[in-house]
Amino acid sequence: MIMVSPVTDETKPSQSRHDGEPDGPAPRRPIADRPTPTRHAADRSAADRALDDSVPTRIVLAMQGVTKAYPNGRMALRDVDLMVPEGDFVFLVGPSGAGKSTLIKLLIRDELPTKGLVLLDGRDLGRLKRRDVPKVRRRIGVVFQDFKLLPNKTVRDNVGFALEVTGTPRRVIVPAVDRVLRVVGLTGQADQLPGQLSGGEQQRTAIARALVHNPRLFIADEPTGNLDPVISWEIIQLLLRINELGVTVLMATHNAEVVTAVRKRVVALENGRIVRDEHGAAYHRED
Amino acid sequence: MAFSLRRAWLGFWKNGLMSLAATATMVLVLVLMSGLIILVIGLHATLDYVQSEVQVVAYMRDAASQQDILALETSLQKMPQVSQVQFVSKAQARQDFLARHPGEADIINTLPDNPLPASLQINLSDPSNYVDVARYLNAQPAVDHVMNIQQTVDQLNSVISVLQAGGTAILIVVGLIVLFIVVNTIRLAVVARADEIEIMRLVGASDAFIRWPFIFEGAMVGLFGAAITIALLFLSQGPVTGFLADYFKVLPIEASTTVGPSIAMVVLGTGVGIGVLGSFLSVRSYLIR
Repeated sequence: MIMVSPVTDETKPSQSRHDGEPDGPAPRRPIADRPTPTRHAADRSAADRALDDSVPTRIVLAMQGVTKAYPNGRMALRDVDLMVPEGDFVFLVGPSGAGKSTLIKLLIRDELPTKGLVLLDGRDLGRLKRRDVPKVRRRIGVVFQDFKLLPNKTVRDNVGFALEVTGTPRRVIVPAVDRVLRVVGLTGQADQLPGQLSGGEQQRTAIARALVHNPRLFIADEPTGNLDPVISWEIIQLLLRINELGVTVLMATHNAEVVTAVRKRVVALENGRIVRDEHGAAYHRED
Repeated sequence: MAFSLRRAWLGFWKNGLMSLAATATMVLVLVLMSGLIILVIGLHATLDYVQSEVQVVAYMRDAASQQDILALETSLQKMPQVSQVQFVSKAQARQDFLARHPGEADIINTLPDNPLPASLQINLSDPSNYVDVARYLNAQPAVDHVMNIQQTVDQLNSVISVLQAGGTAILIVVGLIVLFIVVNTIRLAVVARADEIEIMRLVGASDAFIRWPFIFEGAMVGLFGAAITIALLFLSQGPVTGFLADYFKVLPIEASTTVGPSIAMVVLGTGVGIGVLGSFLSVRSYLIR
């Protein structure tokens, strides 16, 4: 049923590829130009890091000096710089209220920054015309803690819904849905309703829906918050696998165990500031 | 487009209770509105009828000669204020009286003479010219006295203008209330599917794609509401017209033939218009940002 391989098989090759081995299920770009996982980057600006890599790397997401103040005066983000190159896997960690959700809202352009730039694939989300917002959202896949599935639609229809409401013809929808259901391992449950599925299966349905547009950036906001540890691992493995397929992943989480075990890039927020940005890091600071 | 229509259709039946409430409200409003329109149109018809029938009646002295009366009739016909003049002889007046009051034939018959005077019945082109015509008639030696119908006309006129202004004001107020109710009812349907709208936004559905199903759904509420209202009007038209004709005796309100199709169009237009506008306003708050 679960098509994802055990976590050790998934993470090890991806780790080694950070050191420059171009193997594994061919991603869309050379692997060698990724930042090395051992580099501590907190003391350098994101822009420096991007320029530093001699081979040109496409930057999927760039935030420069982003500040977000809500109308009630609360400062959710202060002067945030963040650069995410294509193919990266980023954990966004920090206590509740640190600004993780706000950061994600800025990325999906649910909110606009008070100051600073948010660039997705080089497009300034702050200056996007209203009618272009949907087009940008189609390049981002988002999943949430609460899955956000439509209870009266089958798994297949929930996933297809994302294409249906963007005006995709039926003959395109059917094979695309079949493909992502294979990726998340839900082919057998395609005709069940969300209520008949386990929490993990529901989250995988949401992941499939987020993937069906072939997004450039995959955002997961506490995707394992409602799931038990074993199921959480399955979801993490699935996200790692999606990352292997070349999709850039940004995952906000409280799950320290997972973050520490996987050893990916960790961006830590506290009081709206990035206090740590390390590759191959643990959930907590290791000095 | 087909997708939006299909979703509107499904949405309408899925939220059956809400759609029922919206449609019922719509029907209530449309019935009220068409009732008011029919009333105002009826009053207009009554006014027209009364005004067309308004006559100045000049009663002739019995002593007046046939020639004098004819001369007066001719001079009246030349007046621009007068549209029509009809001479009613004493004999004709007696016949009319007998026709109207058949029970009193004995009284008339026992009298030695015909007590009823001959008269000129004058239609005015404009009832406000009454005073001129009355003054002219009072100055004529052949005229015994002039009957004053003007008071009645004035009263009717003021009643009608009050009703008309009041009716229009009520229509506007009712229209706004209806729009408010429909907007709120449809908004409940929208709120019930806030999750769906949120998901549509997240996966990058365009505003139009999110809006159209709800617009169609609002249009359906309006369409069904209008259809039910028109059916109700059609069914009640016979009895109501009969009752009105019975009650007012002479009022020539022919709602069935002259008012019917145009009322139906107004009801349909208003229903669909309010439904669409209501949906538009309801969904808008979910799209802005």
